[in-house]
Amino acid sequence: MAPRSDTRQSGTHQSGTEELDATIRIATPENIAFQYQLAGPFRRLPAFLIDLAIRMGVLFLMAMVVGMLGLLGPNVASPIWMVFIIIYFGLEWFYGTLFEALWNGQTPGKWLLGLRVLTTSGQPINGLQAVVRNLFRLLDLMPPLPLAAFIAGAPIVATLPTGLVGLMSCLMSPRYQRLGDWLSDTIVVIEEKAWLPGTVKLEDQRAAQLATYIPPTFVVNRTLAQALATYVERRPYFSLARRREIAKHLAEPLVAKFGFPADTGYDLLLCALYHRTFIEAQPGEVGGDHRAFGSQPQAYGSIQPPQAEGIYFVK
Amino acid sequence: MKVAALLAERQVRWTELEMLCARIESTGSSGLPPETLTRFATLYRAVCADLALADAYQLPPGTVHYLHALVGRCHNQLYRGKFFDFEAWGRVLLIDAPQTVFNDRCVQLVFVLFWGVFLLSAYLAATPSAWPQYAEEAITREQITTLETNFKNPPHGRDPSENYVMAGYYIQHNTSIGLQCFVTGLFIVPGLGTLVFNASFLGACFGYMARPDVPEGINFYEFVTAHGPFELTAIVLSAGAGLRLGISVLFTRGWTRLSSLQLAAQDAMPVMGSAMVLFFLAALVEGFVSPSNLPYAAKATVAILSSLLLLIYFVVLGFPRGGIRATR
Repeated sequence: MAPRSDTRQSGTHQSGTEELDATIRIATPENIAFQYQLAGPFRRLPAFLIDLAIRMGVLFLMAMVVGMLGLLGPNVASPIWMVFIIIYFGLEWFYGTLFEALWNGQTPGKWLLGLRVLTTSGQPINGLQAVVRNLFRLLDLMPPLPLAAFIAGAPIVATLPTGLVGLMSCLMSPRYQRLGDWLSDTIVVIEEKAWLPGTVKLEDQRAAQLATYIPPTFVVNRTLAQALATYVERRPYFSLARRREIAKHLAEPLVAKFGFPADTGYDLLLCALYHRTFIEAQPGEVGGDHRAFGSQPQAYGSIQPPQAEGIYFVK
Repeated sequence: MKVAALLAERQVRWTELEMLCARIESTGSSGLPPETLTRFATLYRAVCADLALADAYQLPPGTVHYLHALVGRCHNQLYRGKFFDFEAWGRVLLIDAPQTVFNDRCVQLVFVLFWGVFLLSAYLAATPSAWPQYAEEAITREQITTLETNFKNPPHGRDPSENYVMAGYYIQHNTSIGLQCFVTGLFIVPGLGTLVFNASFLGACFGYMARPDVPEGINFYEFVTAHGPFELTAIVLSAGAGLRLGISVLFTRGWTRLSSLQLAAQDAMPVMGSAMVLFFLAALVEGFVSPSNLPYAAKATVAILSSLLLLIYFVVLGFPRGGIRATR
């Protein structure tokens, strides 16, 4: 397990929105912080069931093959059955361990659902952690529910795991850790393949025209830029009346501020502002637009990130 | 420069990185030429820088989300775990495990508890005058009948071809019990419960079979002698390692309860590893030596040799010799 005391600081230090969105912030050796979304118990259950089904399926197929080989006589069948039983034992206890160690924190079920096991500091897990978190799944599946509760006459040893311990443990952890995760200091995150939305193409030409009337002294600050981007990305999904209703809160004061006619469309104004902020450089504006950097100090004015320079020399 | 122009410029690199990442995800990094890997690392650093400056560039939230996901995926491919480090495993089993066991108060406590209950139970079951009907109460009548029928004949009547299946079964069954004993040890009571139940049950069986009026006793002892040392030691180790977990939550030695538990789990794994090896050895002996036609002297020799091996393992290899653990 990773260094012992200080690493989990990075996980527990969460701001308000991170707690709301159940994300975890991870600092990389490259000295930047990025976010993962944590996987909750009901996101992980299907992965577990898929893995269970795979295990059962493999055992079933193997049992059929071994059963057929058994027809060759007891001297052949017996050693094969021994191997089969040992593999059964191995799958029962070490299926997850093996895959998580070999596949860098994923089992087939987790791979299908885009989950991955990491340490709480975002590092890959090591073999020891893979062993610990999979051994203690036994406790997470407790308490067992005796089948005799539903089926009269079922033997008392026939039980169904309920997983309540693991569920409670997940709910009590800020990072959705089950007992095995607590013990091995690991988390499960959602590793998504997000698509790049880019900027929105505004089909309405009036937005570009209106943009030229916005006073050049007006500075769009960071939060306003975020709000604009969010609004314009989502407005295609809203009806006209709804757009107007949402845009009103932001646009009404701006109309007054810019001195536009009172019948200016609220939606159109926000689109124009978006166009001016994100898409088209103003006439007379050269290269680096300092306003685009909001409150950032001048040192960030160079668009080229310092580390990125090397890539022009490789191939 | 506006975001649209910036995105158009960067998108080329991001897409290239995405494709490289997908390639590494599917085939692993070993098959790729070094230039590609360097390219991957360079692009990764560039996208890290883009993400770091996302605020300054005023990138839209959707793009920032995309960058987080992309950096996350690449981070997971760039930094990978190492599992099959056999040298480390050997070190753990031959150096760490015996030293931990030798110094571990929990293993010692469980050792005393197991053998205390075992011997007491055996004494009570063997001498009907001390506690009449003890054996019947501890083992139950049906189990005694099963035991007696199982050991009616000397234990070499089994078809040798069955040995493999039985050895496999012993490995699966006994190791599972050991692992359960270890894992439930975290809650202390179930772990110790399993241990005490097994100790009293086994003790009663041994005691009952030692009665002079039980003719099956001689066959029973011939069967259990050879694999006894490995198997009983293994169960003691499992329960001891489990108890260590439970105790670590109560007595934290200055750590937080969670850290204390995590450390204990880390320390218990070598012990559990050696217990598993012992379960495997015991199962092989139980499957192939115990039911064989070998004379009793040979089986007793196996038992003595395995006991000696255990002594060397835990006392000679385990004797404290400084190092990191000396201060703990």
